Amino acid sequence: MLKKIALLTACAVFGPVGIGNAQVKNPGTLVYLWTSGIQSLDPAYIGNTPSTYASLNMYNRLLGYDGSNISEFVPSIASEVPSLDNGLIVSGEDGSVRYTFPIREGIYAHKVGLKAADGKIEWRYYDDLSGEERERIEPGFGEITAEDVRYSFMRAILQGESWMANAVTEMVTAGAYANIREWATQLAGVENFDDLDEADLVAVHDALAEKITVEDGKVVLTLEKSFPATLGVIALPYATSVIDKEWAVDHGAWPGTADNWVEFHKPDLGDSALFEQVNGSGPFMLEEWDQGEKRLVMKRFEGYMDGPAPLERVVLRTVPEWTTRRLQLEAGDADVVATPVEFLEEMKSRPGIKVQEGLQNIFGRSLFFMWPVQAEGNPAIGSGKLDGAGIPPDFFGDIDVRKGFNYAQNYQLLLEQVNLGNTVQLRGPTVRGLMGYTDESPVYSFDPEKAEEHFRKAYDGKLWDVGFEMTAFMTEGTELANAALSVLQQNLARINPKFRLKIQALPWATISDRIYTSTNPSIPMAYMGWGPDYSDPGGPLGAATYYLASTGLVAGFSGEGYRELMRQEFDALLDEAWKLNDPDERRPIYERLQVMSHELATTQFLWEDYTHVVSRDWVDGYVHNMILYGAWDFYNITKSE
Amino acid sequence: MLYYLLRRAVFIPVVLLALTLMIFSLQMTLSPVQRLAAYAPGPEFLKGGNDQIAALIEKYGLDEPFLVQYSDWLGNVLTGNLGWSETARAPVADALIDLFPATAELVFFAFIPSLIGAIWLGTKAGVYLNKGIDHAIRIFTILGWSFPVFVFGLMMLMIFYGTLNWFPPGRLSQWAEVVVAGEAFTRYTGVNTLDALLNGNLAVFFDALRHLIAPVVTLTYVNLASMTRVMRTSMLETLRQDYIRTARAKGLPERVVQNKHGRSNAMLPVVTIAGMELAYMMGGVVITETIFDYHGIGRFAADAASNLDFPGVLGFALYFALVLVVINLVVDLLYPLLDPRVKLR
Repeated sequence: MLKKIALLTACAVFGPVGIGNAQVKNPGTLVYLWTSGIQSLDPAYIGNTPSTYASLNMYNRLLGYDGSNISEFVPSIASEVPSLDNGLIVSGEDGSVRYTFPIREGIYAHKVGLKAADGKIEWRYYDDLSGEERERIEPGFGEITAEDVRYSFMRAILQGESWMANAVTEMVTAGAYANIREWATQLAGVENFDDLDEADLVAVHDALAEKITVEDGKVVLTLEKSFPATLGVIALPYATSVIDKEWAVDHGAWPGTADNWVEFHKPDLGDSALFEQVNGSGPFMLEEWDQGEKRLVMKRFEGYMDGPAPLERVVLRTVPEWTTRRLQLEAGDADVVATPVEFLEEMKSRPGIKVQEGLQNIFGRSLFFMWPVQAEGNPAIGSGKLDGAGIPPDFFGDIDVRKGFNYAQNYQLLLEQVNLGNTVQLRGPTVRGLMGYTDESPVYSFDPEKAEEHFRKAYDGKLWDVGFEMTAFMTEGTELANAALSVLQQNLARINPKFRLKIQALPWATISDRIYTSTNPSIPMAYMGWGPDYSDPGGPLGAATYYLASTGLVAGFSGEGYRELMRQEFDALLDEAWKLNDPDERRPIYERLQVMSHELATTQFLWEDYTHVVSRDWVDGYVHNMILYGAWDFYNITKSE
Repeated sequence: MLYYLLRRAVFIPVVLLALTLMIFSLQMTLSPVQRLAAYAPGPEFLKGGNDQIAALIEKYGLDEPFLVQYSDWLGNVLTGNLGWSETARAPVADALIDLFPATAELVFFAFIPSLIGAIWLGTKAGVYLNKGIDHAIRIFTILGWSFPVFVFGLMMLMIFYGTLNWFPPGRLSQWAEVVVAGEAFTRYTGVNTLDALLNGNLAVFFDALRHLIAPVVTLTYVNLASMTRVMRTSMLETLRQDYIRTARAKGLPERVVQNKHGRSNAMLPVVTIAGMELAYMMGGVVITETIFDYHGIGRFAADAASNLDFPGVLGFALYFALVLVVINLVVDLLYPLLDPRVKLR
């Protein structure tokens, strides 16, 4: 008897074995293994790329990006893309700008509301309804309307939790306020957000409501002045994703009221009503989000407005161990896997595996100079003096030091041997495809003689005589950073043996501690990469502002000396460019800013960042859009032999 | 016995308190910005710069004095709230409850064969000292003991999945995950094999079994090796005792001498070490879980630690301490059953 049981068990366990690697496993299901995870399913809460894999595919926005183009848009929930030509963007005489978005009819969310016999609304999957039941859908309950768009925008702004939700606040206030708290406190004239009373809360709600209105079934945004990145922000798969208002309210989200929105402001992650619930109108529906198993499963929405997707199901699963991911890809159990760059060559030689390399990202990698740094007890600057055993806190405040460092780097070597020809040299804050980029702007190249010339000039010649010792920092596990810093380290020592650059790798938590703890950082130089949040170089979240404004992201951690340089040289030009509407007038200014970043050697710009995709060769249809940071839109993905 | 149990029970909260105080003190050596990493794990979360960081530190009370933070946390724990884990994106208690069945299933399938195998192999090795069987068992156990788990696990994975495609990683195949997530399947316990049987779904049961084999073999081999060595040594010592000689002199059959008088008495140290192994396994087997894409408590704890997710780490520490204390207690209670000379006081 025992033998029989053992035999049967063996048959059952080994029965499924033997499916060849060449066959498509799980046809209709795309299994995507990564090392990341989804932060939340609430699009108003999320602020990182992995989370957009859910929002991009389960929600829609007014507009979408046109394929891989970062500045061209296609209609989505809006039936037309607003432009000056079609009259949907109108500039007022007072400088205001009005965007009108006509809404496409007949778009339904995954779940729609039907009135039950007791009069209560019952939420059911649209796909499961018969024709007769679809006739009985309560108007607005699951049908996407202009009111839903308005509600979604307002909810995101008032929730005010994520960086990307605050970007929508910046957009509707044309850059006047960085977030709803700032707006509310300034409107009420109080110091602290907690000092606001109910009337103040209503006032800011109403001020917001005036900027996002519904007129004749269309969504109208009225901005006090130009905000050139408006369409770019609207098309991003974050806080502008459209939620069905009735469903959201029914499931505990902000009810749309003016006086109590603060109760829904900045919720903790799990307290957001839509943390793990979705009812979008995107091509896929939420089937399962198992946070223990780190698995998100999305199922095809048959009622999708543009017709059902070819894939029936998409599975996103976190698998941290590379060997496990690789074996699953080779066995056909996974279709796409996150792959460390050092294994790309090996993967290219594996049968049935497709590798797409050199896919451009929207940001660059650089060595950031910071000055002044904290002087007290800071081992990164050694003695803290220019005596050969350290550097002064404002070491990089001397332009000749910055230029000397920039001429001491071997960019060609890094591009060809470290990045294996997958990218190009970074020319400044803006990368290929962004306004302000030209491939004729000047770049540094490895030139030891010029480096020496500048180092001899620095600190009236004292630097050359006594040398220096300092530490540069990088985040742990970034091999490319190690290569860039090592090449620089060796070149500096060759230029002058008294130049001693030490390299230290730290976890991100420690790096952030050292750059953010006070007004000035404690790190004099670090390898990092920062990317803009939309394709326009200007505005609060654009690439040029991030790098070159005194209030920008880079200036925020680079020390008062860096900020002062930005104030003196860049702020005025940035403001001028942002005020203009005409791209032909704006472009030359951003090009000039790019050149100035070179002339003033603000940063050591290394290379444009890039990514890659490793999949089974039966996977097709991936379109890389760098403004989405490579997030997958699964709608057009196919899986066939 | 009751007094003994009560005395041990009193120690449990003391142990837990000391442990959490220690971990809390350790985390306070990090700056508030470093501890913020749990809530803002990468640069993309800190684009708001210093203002955003200050707001987050205030929101999570990271700049409060040690005693304030600790007493807040302790107060919440006493009301059953272990805090929110950013790693699990769930309340810590929910995360532990969700992950426990996976770890328990793995441990159940790995621990029982390890224990039985170790006792059997250790007995054989002790009885056949310096004979062929003993040498073979010693080589087998030395290999198991000295093989790093990640090497053995990866070898298992590459051979039995990469080459033979027999035992895939994860807990279930894609098709089975769809079945389990479906409305027709009830998740009674979270233990896949058990739930599949309770649902009468043999296909899912065998699929779950197929996914368990490689991690179970890996764990079993490693644990079996260490326990076998202890059993062998203990058996050798026992077989040299006077009462064994007496038993043989009385004319008892050799099988009875070895099994009843020898093995029973030799098992005491094995029970001690088996208890420790079980506690260690219930605390999660990080490497095995990681290699075989098995989402259990060990991986959660490791991720929480590397993400500086202190609520997660503290919750895990409480759970692990509790497991350790309970298993130790059970082991202590087993001693008098195995050896009547032992009395609990």
